[in-house]
Order: sequence, then structure tokens, then C-alpha cells
Amino acid sequence: MLDAPSSEFPNTSSICVGSNATRVAKSRSTNTEMSEVRPFITSDVPVVAEMFQRILRKTSQSATSSLEIYLRELFLEAPDAQHDITSLIHQRDDGSVSGFVGVVPLALEFEGRPLRGALCGTMMVDGHKEDPFAGARLLRAFLAGPQDISLTETANDVSTAMWRKMNAAVLPDYSLEWIRVIRPAGFMVELAAADVSAARVFSPLARPIDAFIRRRPIDGEPHWSHFTSAPKGKLVDTDVDEDELLDLIPKLAAHYPMRPAWRRETLARIIVHARRKANYGPGVRRVVRTGTGHPVGLYIYYGDRGRIGRAFQVMALPGQEGAVIDNMIAHAASNGLVALRGRTQPALLNAMLGRRFAFVHASSSIVHARDPALIQPFLDGRAFFNGFAGESWCRLMGDAFD
Amino acid sequence: MTDPSTAEIRTFIVDNFLFGDENHPLTDDTSLIENDLIDSTGILELVAFLEQRFAIAVNDSDIVPANLDSIARISSFVGGRLGQSNSAAN
Repeated sequence: MLDAPSSEFPNTSSICVGSNATRVAKSRSTNTEMSEVRPFITSDVPVVAEMFQRILRKTSQSATSSLEIYLRELFLEAPDAQHDITSLIHQRDDGSVSGFVGVVPLALEFEGRPLRGALCGTMMVDGHKEDPFAGARLLRAFLAGPQDISLTETANDVSTAMWRKMNAAVLPDYSLEWIRVIRPAGFMVELAAADVSAARVFSPLARPIDAFIRRRPIDGEPHWSHFTSAPKGKLVDTDVDEDELLDLIPKLAAHYPMRPAWRRETLARIIVHARRKANYGPGVRRVVRTGTGHPVGLYIYYGDRGRIGRAFQVMALPGQEGAVIDNMIAHAASNGLVALRGRTQPALLNAMLGRRFAFVHASSSIVHARDPALIQPFLDGRAFFNGFAGESWCRLMGDAFD
Repeated sequence: MTDPSTAEIRTFIVDNFLFGDENHPLTDDTSLIENDLIDSTGILELVAFLEQRFAIAVNDSDIVPANLDSIARISSFVGGRLGQSNSAAN
């Protein structure tokens, strides 16, 4: 059984009960009648940073200045910030902040038509159970914004139920977590270590077991520990730098009728944000090319030797998904990862079948639009969503702020 | 005699938040929050019901316990909104 991501990194669209719940309950009758939802401003940063630590990271450690700086940069100082699509605060009538929803604008285009999109994440409410009005108001206020399409990538069960009540569409094909086991014994040790880190003392024992398993002849049926090696001589798999990524990503997303319409500086900023995810391990960014140098796909993952790696983005030209996935798994195996996990995209699902991938639902990708025609491409799998076109590029997911 | 809107609101709450259990002790003044009868999702469901059934607009600032924490408060809020609509029409 796989852990939901929330056990290892904040499910940033969760609504959770914070430590101020009791205080909220006692003051609810007098403290919420004149409460308001308003735009997030600079002076809110320290209290939102503390809420993030307490509610989403579930730690009693105070927020660091680097976290505050990042929240300001992400939600207030983005170069493509828009005055009418902003992050929101729920404020009690005594002036205290009890809720926050982080909003990032995302320019989109659908069959050439420009659209305004907004990504909603980092949704948190202090004392959610005792003051259920705060979460409801924050979500309503966000969805009532001027954007054509509202999106979230990390909704937990509570948030998902709320989005559903607002007539949003949950996207099953974008909401699954895939996992590909590479070294079964090492993988079992890592699963145990997720609950009890001392379980890693068994890692040295797992290695010879995995080596033995991998030496067994394949009897016609693929095993969990086997994978298709990258086809030699046909595709070349090399590191890619950020400048090249900046050119490649729009090209590899171009065949999706619904896709981001990134400005070059916006995408450059996103790539820089995705550079570091200290909690996941070092990053690997590779482009897959034909023998003549023509790029057919790319993959980005993070992971330490002996651990479960996290794929952040897999992109491929139509028909090349399987080859890109094979290259990625082969690279992760050569890097000593025991397994690789990531978020599904409909374009990858077909290629994953028959390659011994397992799937589990962890959090939901959801879309809301007043015009149903704008939801359809997401339901049909014709939208490029998740990864660079989602929330998971930001450092709030997977990075440390020490 | 019970206001028709109060009866409809009660029915909605019993059907949606009490799984149709008519025996649950629910007075017009029972706090929906303090008795754990409603959560954030329920509030969104309730607001959608009020907007659709009574054709009223519920603003963000209306979504507070003073308006929505009991059957009596909801009924009073709806009555006020309907009264405003009628006044505007006249």
C-alpha cells in the first residue's frame, strides 16, 4: 500500500484544523459576524507563514525568514501578477487572520483562444471544523474571480468535496499517483521507513535480495523488478539545461488543444522554482532525442540513491510516451532508486499499461469554469495540466526553508 | 403556522445533513455548527440551495453564522432577502 503524498509533503490544498481551534470555537459567535475575505497583502505574510508551518507542514517550528520571503515572492511579487486574480485571506472581525488560499495566475489558450486561468493551492483554515464558514467563503470568493478557468492540483478529500459542490469537475486521469517499483526489497524497506525511519538499517540486506531477483531469467511474464532498457542506438538521453528546457517545454506541449500560454519570462521563473526540492533529493533533468538529435520528450525527477524518487514532469511527442518512460525508468535504475513515483497525465496512461506501473489516488486535480466547453478538454485528456502547468513546480511542495 | 420557507429549509437540512432522520432533535434554534451538523461543504450546499430554491443572491459577506447557523436564522435571512426583492419590484 502506498502512502498518500500528504504524509511526506503538504497536500497544499488541504483544509485542516489548526492549533487555534479552541480559541476560534469560543469566540465564534462574536468573532465571525463581520469577518471578511480580502486580498492577501504583504503584512499578512508572517501569519500565513506560521499557518503554513502549523497546518500544512504540521510542525511546531516557527516559520523561517526564507519561507516568508518565498511566500511573498510566489504570491505577491510574481512578474505576471494580476491585480484582480490574487491570493485571498479570511479575516475575523478582530483583525486576526484565520484562512488563506494561495492563487497563481496561469495564462491558457484553447484552440488558439487566449484564456485567463488561476491555480488555487495552499488552502488552509485555522479551526476549520469550528468555523466552517471560512473555508466555504474562501473557495467561493476564489471561484467567483474573473478567471475563465480555475484549477487545483492537490485537493484533499475535504477540498474535493467542496469543489464538487461548486459544480467543478474532478479529473480522474490527472488525479492518480503512479509508482514504478525498480528494486522490490529496497522499495519495501523505504515504505517501512516512511513510518519508522530506523527501518533503513535493513537497506544493506535489501540490496543482495534485489540483485538476486533481477538476475532471475524472465519467464515470459514481466516482473515488478524488470524494465525495458532504453533502446540502444535509437534514442539518446542527455542532461538538459534550463535554457534548453525553456525552448523544449512549449514545443512538447504544443499538440495539446488546451495548454498554458506561458510568456518566456514566466516559464523561465517556473523552471527556476522547480530546480530545488531538497526533501525529495537531487534533481535530474533529461531530454530524449532521436539519433539525429530531434527531441521526442523529456523527464524531470528528484531522488536519492536507495530511495523512492519523484517524477515531476514527463513530456513526450504523441506516440513517443513509451520510449520516454523507458528511458526515465532505466535512468532511475542506473541512479540506484528503488522506485519512482509521479502524477498521471492521460497521455501517459496508455504507455504505462503493460510497463508494470501501479496507481493510487492521493489528491485530486480539479477544474472549474462557467463555460462547460472549457471543462471538456480536461475531461477528454486534451489539456496539458499538472507539473509545469500546475502547482507542483513551486518550492512549497518538496523543498526545505531552513 | 410555520412559514413555508422555514419548512422547506428544515426539510433540506434533514434530508442532506441528517440523512433523512426525522427523529433527530432539531429545533428552529439548534446551532448547526455547535452540533456538528454542517461543515464547509455543507455550507456551500446550503448556499446553493438557497440561491436556487428562493432565487436570491447570497453574497460573500452574507455567509456568516448570524445568517446561516440555524433554521430560524436561515429563514429570517431568506425572508429579508425576499422582502428586499419584493420592495425593489414595487
